[in-house]
Amino acid sequence: MMLTSINNSFEQDTHDADANCDGPDLDFVYSDVDGYQNEIAELYSYTEFSEFQMNVKAFEDQMELYDLPPNWQKQDSASQRGIVMKLVDQLEVSDRSFRMQAARCILYLAQGCWAEVQSDEEQHQITRDNVLVLYQLGVFASFIDLLNMEIESACSPDIVAVKITNVTLVDSTDIRVILSVLYIITETIRDERERGSEDYRELADSFVQEINSPLPDGELLAVKLLGMITRFCSGAAPQFPMKKVVLLLWKVSLLGLGGMDVLKNLKNEYRLKVGLEPITEDTLEVTKCMRASSPPATATDILENQYPKRNFKRSLMKQRFLDEPEQIDMEMGGNDGQTNANNGSGNGGNGEEELSQYYRPYDDPSSSASTTSTANPNNQPSLTQPPAAVPPVQITARLPWTPKVRQKDIDQFLDISRNKFIGYSLIGDHESLAGLPQPIHEGFKTLQRHMYMSLADVQIKKEEDIARNPISTHEDEIKLTPAEVLYQAILPNLPQYMIALLKVLLAASPTSKSKTESINIMADVLPRKMPLTATQSTKLTVDIGRHKEIIVKAVSAIILLYLKHFKINHVYQFEFMSQHLVFANCIPLVLKFFNQTITEYVNTKNSIPLLDFPSCVIGEQPDLSGDSFVYGGEMSDKSYSWRNVFSCINLLRILNKLIKWKHSRVMMLVVFKSAPILKKTLKVRHAMMQLYVLKLLKMQTKYLGRQWRKSNMKTMSAIYAKVRHRLNDDWAFGNDLESRPWDFQAEECTLRACVDRFNLRRYPEATQKCGNNGTAAQNAENAQQSNMMAGNNGCGNNGDANGYGNNGGGANGGHNQQQQLNDYGVEGGFPSDEILTHSDFAFFGHSGWWDRKVELTDYFKANYAVWLEEEVYNSQTDWDAL
Amino acid sequence: MKMADGSTILRRNRPGTKSKDFCRWPDEPLEEMDSTLAVQQYIQQLIKRDPSNVELILTMPEAQDEGVWKYEHLRQFCMELNGLAVRLQKECSPSTCTQMTATDQWIFLCAAHKTPKECPAIDYTRHTLDGAACLLNSNKYFPSRVSIKESSVTKLGSVCRRVYRIFSHAYFHHRRIFDEFEAETYLCHRFTHFVTKYNLMSKENLIVPINVGENAAPGESEA
Repeated sequence: MMLTSINNSFEQDTHDADANCDGPDLDFVYSDVDGYQNEIAELYSYTEFSEFQMNVKAFEDQMELYDLPPNWQKQDSASQRGIVMKLVDQLEVSDRSFRMQAARCILYLAQGCWAEVQSDEEQHQITRDNVLVLYQLGVFASFIDLLNMEIESACSPDIVAVKITNVTLVDSTDIRVILSVLYIITETIRDERERGSEDYRELADSFVQEINSPLPDGELLAVKLLGMITRFCSGAAPQFPMKKVVLLLWKVSLLGLGGMDVLKNLKNEYRLKVGLEPITEDTLEVTKCMRASSPPATATDILENQYPKRNFKRSLMKQRFLDEPEQIDMEMGGNDGQTNANNGSGNGGNGEEELSQYYRPYDDPSSSASTTSTANPNNQPSLTQPPAAVPPVQITARLPWTPKVRQKDIDQFLDISRNKFIGYSLIGDHESLAGLPQPIHEGFKTLQRHMYMSLADVQIKKEEDIARNPISTHEDEIKLTPAEVLYQAILPNLPQYMIALLKVLLAASPTSKSKTESINIMADVLPRKMPLTATQSTKLTVDIGRHKEIIVKAVSAIILLYLKHFKINHVYQFEFMSQHLVFANCIPLVLKFFNQTITEYVNTKNSIPLLDFPSCVIGEQPDLSGDSFVYGGEMSDKSYSWRNVFSCINLLRILNKLIKWKHSRVMMLVVFKSAPILKKTLKVRHAMMQLYVLKLLKMQTKYLGRQWRKSNMKTMSAIYAKVRHRLNDDWAFGNDLESRPWDFQAEECTLRACVDRFNLRRYPEATQKCGNNGTAAQNAENAQQSNMMAGNNGCGNNGDANGYGNNGGGANGGHNQQQQLNDYGVEGGFPSDEILTHSDFAFFGHSGWWDRKVELTDYFKANYAVWLEEEVYNSQTDWDAL
Repeated sequence: MKMADGSTILRRNRPGTKSKDFCRWPDEPLEEMDSTLAVQQYIQQLIKRDPSNVELILTMPEAQDEGVWKYEHLRQFCMELNGLAVRLQKECSPSTCTQMTATDQWIFLCAAHKTPKECPAIDYTRHTLDGAACLLNSNKYFPSRVSIKESSVTKLGSVCRRVYRIFSHAYFHHRRIFDEFEAETYLCHRFTHFVTKYNLMSKENLIVPINVGENAAPGESEA
């Protein structure tokens, strides 16, 4: 029924679908990083502008000392190497100013000797030449030493005395020079490697090797940087320039672990190794061929906001929905003839037929499997056929994804059928169809054809086997992949690192209001003297906005990268990290991030191209006094901000990763009233971003209640058209609320037990260290505090969220939900801005019983045999009576 | 020579070997050396024959991997530098030379620590030599003595740079010891040639005058 109605309304309105569009789709293409020039430009804040001159001054002074003309390009390569070697020597001198002069000089070289060139290209060319020399002569290692010294000196008590809010740019002058050099080297090598530059190949390989193995002091570079973030968050080192640290960490991790291509290849490699088919669908490729849906109509939005008051007008509303101008233009409903034909046939039949229409292309997956080839990585003939380069994308009349089904679902299907037809269940039997009627056989075959076994399933199974038969089960040797090395290195302090990353993310998100944060991420953008003129302060405002955006970009990219790599390396590594993210309130934090005018965020232009490096130092200098230069740059060719779309997609993907298949976490989405927030996010016209939002909506549709579904049919249709179908999954209409009670703590604890068992078995030493960091007593105490705090949190989205909290209908009583909210420690929506500190986990997990050590009294130890006798052996339990 | 009587020559210093017989076994051509340590053995043999013939010692045999050649030489330098360190100990103590200096202009930090710090000259010497030994013997960077990764070869430059400061300190502050040692081993001479030849250090940083070649400039020219 529903389907026909969609189709009808749809049919009516296709003609004006395009007219209602807000604008064209964003031509944003998701990738690992932005262009090299942007990535480099983002390293510097505009307030650092004056320091560029210091670098060139350092270079000139140094050359004077060497009795050479201050011109790098006039030196032959031997002499250039000589200069670098002398500079490196100077880096080990104990006099700080002398040392930093050499460091600045090297920074100038890494920046491409911009004072000598006329164009950006020249500057880039010199940078890449110089980076080659710098790395070969050991500059990277020397700068790590310098970084160590800075970290060390940050601990000395006289520096800590500076008040956090008073820290400015000048407090981090030296460390910024060091981080900049490290970043430029890393980013340049990464970029050249990506391009496949011949002269960089060997160097890039050895560099990757270097960052994937511990430094001479035994620490991984990534861990050192994570340590810096943690220390910064603890308030011990407020002068650390967080933006540069997270940028460097991101690039080091990206280069060390590998980007999207590496991930895809690794995943298929691992799958093949355990005997699974390689993945044929690549989300990125598929979404490239998708068109963005139009945003939901404003009328609907208004309707939603008013909804609580209009509860009684249900029938009226329904009417209204049907009349409302329909704006969806999904692939299946595009304007080309093929689709119209399709619609026509759908119109003639009923919903069932419509369904089969969509499924038909996938009825024979063997054909798609047979075309699997490396030459055609996305292996979807139907999808790759439309030439992606020619907009608008040719629209196909089929669903973008092959439907999938899990073994679990098949088992459930069989179980139900057996119970129905033969009256008993065969536990553990996945196949026998004896006694079942023909249609069930067919259904079963279809399900089996679409069965998808994930790498995680195999890994979990393996863990179960090992747990059951610890001696006889053979575990393969653990390969020290970069991800494995990283995991082992961060395991002891993983909770702290996650909290620190989230704290920085929170401080940088645009919705964060708290001024009295324990951390001040603005330290590396604020100049000592506040601007006086209006222009200057406009500039500073833009700078601060840009600074925050870049931090969000880097942190979201880091978290996503780690999650993805851990996931394929071992699912329990992923679960460990994600559980700590969840405990540290990552889910509400991300939702809160999206609880802003997201279209505005995506379109924000917090940049002044004239002030970006290298434009700000090359060629004619812009007039720095007038107003014009601030706005002059707004004429950019792009209508959106690359980094903001990138961050949004990252955060959505993180959310998906954390929540997928976790019932209790899906309920968090419901409890935190994510639906209106997510719906607003759909307004961004980008297929990939919408896909991830739709996925999040799909997970919780069941729990949003009939009313929500009724008034959001367009969103529902978009989900239907864009998100992968799970056979047998009654996501849209199911109301299994009563049948599945959810207990956040129990579910998380079960998972935690598995993860702990895995960690204890594979990394006994590291796990012990990790466990000792928070004691049970502290946990309990903090739990109480958190509960108290949670009571008074403000909620940013009460206004537009009202429609959802209680519209679960009769299925989910208001009282019941309130109880659940309390379980999470929230009453009105989001918990307060607090990122829970490590010991606060208790609040989420039964006072941390898993790491509580049971203390047995001496009396008990001496007499336990008696206890055993009395309490266990002699107590009779009548099990049948239970 | 006495040990060469048997049919097989054992190139070993047995317990009880007299000091005059130490390492006294006949030379063996490189091609016939049948061990993974051939290059080291070959270099040591050349040094033993005539330490002053720096040119010959540093002449790389044909078909030799350059990385390995540099690595083995640096190992040898560090081993022999211990001889200088032992002599320095008599005169250079944390109370006399509180800082690692060559000329008075610069004080160098000791890079052997997690965070580089100012160590007295003799400590710098010991730490640096220990650190160099650790690095050169580390399984991670130098797992093989037959072939060496390019990434590890770049580590040699920093070892050279740090080790060289021992020479310069000895030269400028303990000239007598330096001269005695140099007269016997020609070590600084050889080292200077080595780093110049393989471009491991900048010429201007080689501040100890060597009486041959163009490096005889006085120490003041450094910067």
